[in-house]
This record gives sequence, C-alpha cells and structure tokens, in this order.
Amino acid sequence: MKSVIGELSALLKSRKISSVELTKKYISEIEKKNGNLNAYVHLTFDEALKNAENADKLIKEGKGTPLTGIPMTLKDNICTDGILTTCCSKILEGHRPCYDATVWKRLKQCGAVLLGKTNMDEFAMGSASETSCYGAPKNPVDVMRVAGGSSGGGAAAVKAGLAAYALGSDTGGSVRQPAAFCGTVGFKPTYGAISRYGLIAYASSFDQIGILSAGVEDAAEIYNAVCGADEYDMTCCPRNMPEIKPEVDVKGLKIGIAEEFYKGLDSEIRAAVDRAVAVYEKAGAEIMLVKLPSLEYVLPVYYILACAEASSNLGRYDGIRYGSRAENYSGVDEMITITRSQGFGKEVQKRIMLGTYVLSGGYSDAYYKKARVLREHIKAEFNSVFGLCDVLLAPTVPQTAFPLGYSGGNPIETYLSDICTVPANIAGLPAVSVPCGVDGKGLPIGLQIIGDRFNESAVLSAALFAEKSGICDIDGGVL
Amino acid sequence: MMGISEKEFAMLARLARLEFDGERKQEFMSEFEEIINFANAVNNAVAGDTESIKDTGGDNVMFEELREDTVKESLPNEKITSGVTPVNGYFTVKRVVK
Repeated sequence: MKSVIGELSALLKSRKISSVELTKKYISEIEKKNGNLNAYVHLTFDEALKNAENADKLIKEGKGTPLTGIPMTLKDNICTDGILTTCCSKILEGHRPCYDATVWKRLKQCGAVLLGKTNMDEFAMGSASETSCYGAPKNPVDVMRVAGGSSGGGAAAVKAGLAAYALGSDTGGSVRQPAAFCGTVGFKPTYGAISRYGLIAYASSFDQIGILSAGVEDAAEIYNAVCGADEYDMTCCPRNMPEIKPEVDVKGLKIGIAEEFYKGLDSEIRAAVDRAVAVYEKAGAEIMLVKLPSLEYVLPVYYILACAEASSNLGRYDGIRYGSRAENYSGVDEMITITRSQGFGKEVQKRIMLGTYVLSGGYSDAYYKKARVLREHIKAEFNSVFGLCDVLLAPTVPQTAFPLGYSGGNPIETYLSDICTVPANIAGLPAVSVPCGVDGKGLPIGLQIIGDRFNESAVLSAALFAEKSGICDIDGGVL
Repeated sequence: MMGISEKEFAMLARLARLEFDGERKQEFMSEFEEIINFANAVNNAVAGDTESIKDTGGDNVMFEELREDTVKESLPNEKITSGVTPVNGYFTVKRVVK
C-alpha cells in the first residue's frame, strides 16, 4: 500500500504528466475493465476531461492542491449538478440533480477530476451491492465474489486502479466493509465531521460520507479537503476542523480490545487481527481488555432505527416529484402505490415495511422507543471505554468476501455480517478499515480501528502505523 | 415466534404505499416475520412497558446549527427544470387525476 495521491500529485506538479494525460489513462483502464467489474454505473468522461483541463491550468499557475488533477469517483447517491444520480434504483431512473453535494463542490474547488458515479446497493441498503438495479459490481481480487456493500463500486474502482480514490457513504459499515473485502482503506469519520448536504438520505442519524483510498495518507488528504462546517447541514460540526496529519509512532498509544467484537469470527480472521495486535504491542502500544456488553444488541437496534428512518426518508418517492412513474393507474393513491412497488427493489421494500411496522401505533413503544434507549446505552459504554483507551482494534467483517449471489439467501445471515461495523455508526464514532493480510483463498482481511468522537487523528495515526509496519501487506489502487 | 397476520401485513403495506400479491406476498411475509423476531431482541434487553422510559434522544445529532434566515437569490427556473422538459418555464407532469 502506498499514497497514490502523493505519487500522482508529485508527477503532476513536476509536469512529468498532465492531468489530461492522466485522466485519459484512467479512462482507458475503465474502458478495458469496467465491462467485467461493473464498478461504474454512469461515466462522465467529457466532464472529466474538462475538469482535467482546468486542473492543468491551476497547476501551471501554481494554484494546485494535492488533489488538483487527480481522477476520482463518487458513489451514485452523492448529488452532482446535471449528472445522473440514481442511488442505483429504478425509482430514480434518469434523475439529474440541479445542485452539487457539498463534498463534490469542495473537491471541485480543489480541482478534482470526476470520472463517473459508482455502483452501490439500492439506496445503500445491502452488504454486497447486489441490490443495485444495474447488477452487482465484482471484486477485483476474485471476480466470482462480491465487492461488498453498499459502496462496492467505489472499493472495486480503487482496488482495480479505475480511480485514485472514491467517496462513498457509510450508514452501517458501507465504506469499511467493501474496503475490507477488496483490500483498500475505508474511512468513516465522526458523524457531523463531513457535511451530508447532497447525500441522498437513507437513515439520517447514521449516514456519513466516507473515503475509499489506496493508502491512509490519501484518506487524510481527502478528509482535510471535504470536512468542516457547512451552513446547509445543521447536523454538521459548526467549527472548522483541525487538519489531520497522521503520525506513525504508536508508542504509549492505549489500544482497547473488546472480546464482543470477536464472537463467531472466522479463525483466519481472528489470527490476522491477533497478529496485528502483537505488532502494535511490540512497537510500544499498551494493549488492554475492555468490555462492551451492549454490543449484543447493536444489530437489532440498528435495523429498527435505520429502517424507521428509511421508511420516513423514502416516503418522498411518490412518482410526482422524482424519477419514474407507473404507466397504468386509476387515481392518485393507486399511482403512488404502483410507482413505489415497481420502482423500489425487494430489499428496499422490506426495509420500508419494517420501518413502517416499528413506527406504527402499538409497536413503536415495543421496538422503536426501546431501540433508542439501547442506543444511548451503547453510546454510554463507548464513552466509558474511551475514558480508558485511545482506540479500539477489531476485525472489520467476521468473514472475507462472499461469493456472488450470497445476499439472495437468508436476510438475517446477511445482516449479521454487519456486526463489527454497525457499532461505530450507532455511536457516531470515527473508524477506519485497513487491510491486514489475506485468508487461505487469497481474499483480503480488514482490520478496524475505532476512535472517540472527533479523534480522527488517533484513528488515522494508528492506521498509518499498520500501513508502515507491514500489517497491510496488500497492494492496491496503483494504475 | 412473533407472528404477523395477513390483515396486519395488508395494513402495513397500505401505510407504506406498497403492494404485494400472490407468491411475492407469502415470501415477503415469511421473511418479514423472521426479521421481526430478530428485532425482538430489544425487548429482551429493555424489559417491561416503555411508559416509564424517558426518551433521551437516542441519535447522533451533536449540533443543530441554524443559519440566519436571509433572503437569497434562488436557482433560475431554467436550472431547476433542466432535467425535465419544461413548458413555459414550468415543470410539466403527467396528469395524475384522470
């Protein structure tokens, strides 16, 4: 693993390559590989070449930043002015927003080059990107396996060298899990650190824009460019965030290990995480055992609250204001019902139904209200733990990439794969997944580092140590 | 096992503005029941009725910054309607009530 952005930026700055030439190289790679990988669902090559020309001008005038002229991609749920943004759903077919998401606006100001929009689970609901109306993206490490979800297209694009980096969204692990499956870095910052303006809502109190990159320093660079106050998102931190410069020294770093993350773990993954912990300890980190007993309830709590929020957020898709509309109907009510039944896929319908159920009279007390109480318990436990240690180390996913078609099976089994990533979303904590070896089939294993709210610095520093110490021994994202 | 009756399922579908029929309905009901049983774990964790439970918020919102309510130029009609086929600068939608 290495800093792809640092390397490309140096080449651009020294004028050894222009952004237009670099963009054409990426376009050529996408044309060669995307047919097989299905990482991109909308291509914006004309826009990219225009962005690249502007970037070259900025670099020539000495006004470039490390992200100027670097080709990248956005998940298909991040709004882009005049560019298709469909959440990989039939119901948003042909939808072109008339404004840019704050993250894209900020990256454009840095001179970023947008190659296209990447594949994802429909409305970010899934763990394998198999609920996408465009079909699943494939894992570049093994094309018979999923790239993970819901930001599977972005992870596949970064791993296969089809983009230098990608922005995704992480509601229950949707950036970290595909990063673990594909062997890239996946970083979810603290809830409120990055504006959600222009991110199409799934579950608003969990949704957070995250970063997929080849290296940790790349993730920090992108984070510094997009984080901070935004008047269009009232839940975004109102102050400007300090610049993150991860440091590789972990001497004296207090690392917590919570056994609750290790239940039902694949033995090869357990061994890989244990090996990583030993490397940190040898470098002078202090390892301590901590307890998070409420983690037993994270999945039911997450699915109750996220589905409740989804049922409300997705109420706006009625065939009148957005996207497609049913052809045959006899009245307004029927038109809305048929449009939604034809436009939403099975997983989305299932989650809307569950959300409607837990919010309905007679059940909201039994499910929704209790889940909210438990969420507070879980957050309080994390607060206590971060009074003792700086970061937690845990596996990112209890298994490696599933074979294609896996998520068509038992829904509960699929939900259980989110067990290690969901806690950070419930408590709004920053977390990163970095590769930490491969299993017997050569599939990447992810190591997760979780920190206290707004302690991105500790999380990324611990991740950088993993990268520099050789824990992350997988190459990725290099064109 | 928590069950869900056909009547209850039909009412939920109506609230969610979705329709399910035949085989699809049976498949959905069976999966739905399984998911509800899974979600029911919260009742094992927080026993009793919720009348006495104080709702403490339970979300991640740390900031609720409201901006000044100032009048700003809105997007021009041409921009707003750029994704559709406008008539006289307005959205045109297919007739809903026939």
